[in-house]
Amino acid sequence: MRHITNFIKTIGHPFSSLIIMLGECTRLFWYLLTGCLYSLKRPQLIIKEVYFSGVLSLLIIAVSGWFVGMVLGLQGYNTLQRFGSVSVLGSLVALSLLRELGPVLCAILFASRAGSGMTAEIGLMKATEQLDAMSVMAVDPIKRVVIPKFISGIIAVPLLTALFDTCGILGGHFVGVNMLKLDQGTFWSQMQGSVDLHNDVINGLIKALFFGFIVSLISVYQGLQAKPTAEGVSAATTRTVVHSALAVLALDFILTAFMF
Amino acid sequence: MQQNVVELENLNFSYSEDRLLLKNINLNIAKGKITAIMGGSGSGKTTILRLISGQIKPNQGKVKVFENDLSKISIKQIHDIRKRLGLLFQFGALFTDINVTQNVAFPLLEHTNLSKKLINKIVAMKLEAVGLTGTQNLMPNQLSGGMARRVALARAIALDPELMLYDEPFTGLDPISLNTTAMLIKKLSTSLNQTAILVTHDIAVTMGIADYMYFMANGEIIAEGTPQQIKETSNPAVRQFINGEITGPFQYKYATKNSYQQYLEQ
Repeated sequence: MRHITNFIKTIGHPFSSLIIMLGECTRLFWYLLTGCLYSLKRPQLIIKEVYFSGVLSLLIIAVSGWFVGMVLGLQGYNTLQRFGSVSVLGSLVALSLLRELGPVLCAILFASRAGSGMTAEIGLMKATEQLDAMSVMAVDPIKRVVIPKFISGIIAVPLLTALFDTCGILGGHFVGVNMLKLDQGTFWSQMQGSVDLHNDVINGLIKALFFGFIVSLISVYQGLQAKPTAEGVSAATTRTVVHSALAVLALDFILTAFMF
Repeated sequence: MQQNVVELENLNFSYSEDRLLLKNINLNIAKGKITAIMGGSGSGKTTILRLISGQIKPNQGKVKVFENDLSKISIKQIHDIRKRLGLLFQFGALFTDINVTQNVAFPLLEHTNLSKKLINKIVAMKLEAVGLTGTQNLMPNQLSGGMARRVALARAIALDPELMLYDEPFTGLDPISLNTTAMLIKKLSTSLNQTAILVTHDIAVTMGIADYMYFMANGEIIAEGTPQQIKETSNPAVRQFINGEITGPFQYKYATKNSYQQYLEQ
């Protein structure tokens, strides 16, 4: 009988954990929404967090965007050459980046660089009783610490995505025009002709906004849920990166189905 | 009639089902007095401070602070009560991303509209009170353990709270800092009529400054009285604790739990 009970427990545990996690995430989200007004009244807290999560991520995002653009340029050129249509390389690079690669890769990079940092900071503050100290001083740690981080992620990801897209297009231009000697006028004019401001650029940035929201929510949630030990904080940061990547990819599919 | 700032009535508390951490605690903290809670490690002293500051709720019984039953009031009301109390954490709990000045100024910036100049003056006064003038610009990771605890003390008293909760304030301090801190606690109590609850192991210093003492063992209050009454008590557990004797009614071992029995049976 005990074996049967244990078997049912083993099967049911992941499902019940998932439901509990979703419930806690929803509660946290509601609390974050209701507390946003407090943080918006103190913009300096948000600016500080945007600096840590956004400004300090500029280099990794710019460099990654540049290399992704260069790879797209190379791969695109080789494939398009077979069909004699290398002239549309600019469109290929721009559309790939603006619609998909820019928002998705940027969100995953943001989760790895800044999201894990948010989780670790909140987790360590919890482990060293800093959140308790704040609470005892009649300062709500969610409003004072967590919400500014959450909002900063929502602000930073679309802006970083725009930078990623720009650097990617310049990388593609470098490979196509400077290395493979494609005509510069053709590269830009094809891109200008095929990229639509609303359908491609704005929709890409809306995607980034959603990704910023989900990555920030996962990051702060994992930080608050981290066990107050070194191992617990380490496991929480790992979970932030894994869950964020999966959530971004799944959300990307849903958003793409609705948008394009 | 004596006015109580804190009252614990028939209080039971446990973190897990198989071990009751606090059993039937009845405790009164008189206004303007220094009350010490003493006892061995793991006897539930820090848990009492967590209950009084509203961080956790009892399983049974009442926690009344400033005549408010904490289980019957809203979070906002608990926050209003917390503005009137200060808590010195066992390990300081300084904010590691800001310097000493910003740490001490934190409650002032959050709860007052004082000018920056005045806040800086108050911070300087508090740091002087704990003997740390000149450390304003240091980061918490540049402080020794004892210094960090004194900065935490300066932060806890920044708003001159009516009720101060000290969790092991003397741990890790050198003899001079220890006496300075003890004198500061006494001075705050006498000059500001501040009520203080002192959780500590340091018998000699505590006997010198406390007005009333509670002794705890295995989650229960086993003795109480003035320092003089405690000195003269015949309670063998208290005598063992005061004299630091290895054998006696005080168990050095952690109380056995049901889960431990199950572990042995496996």
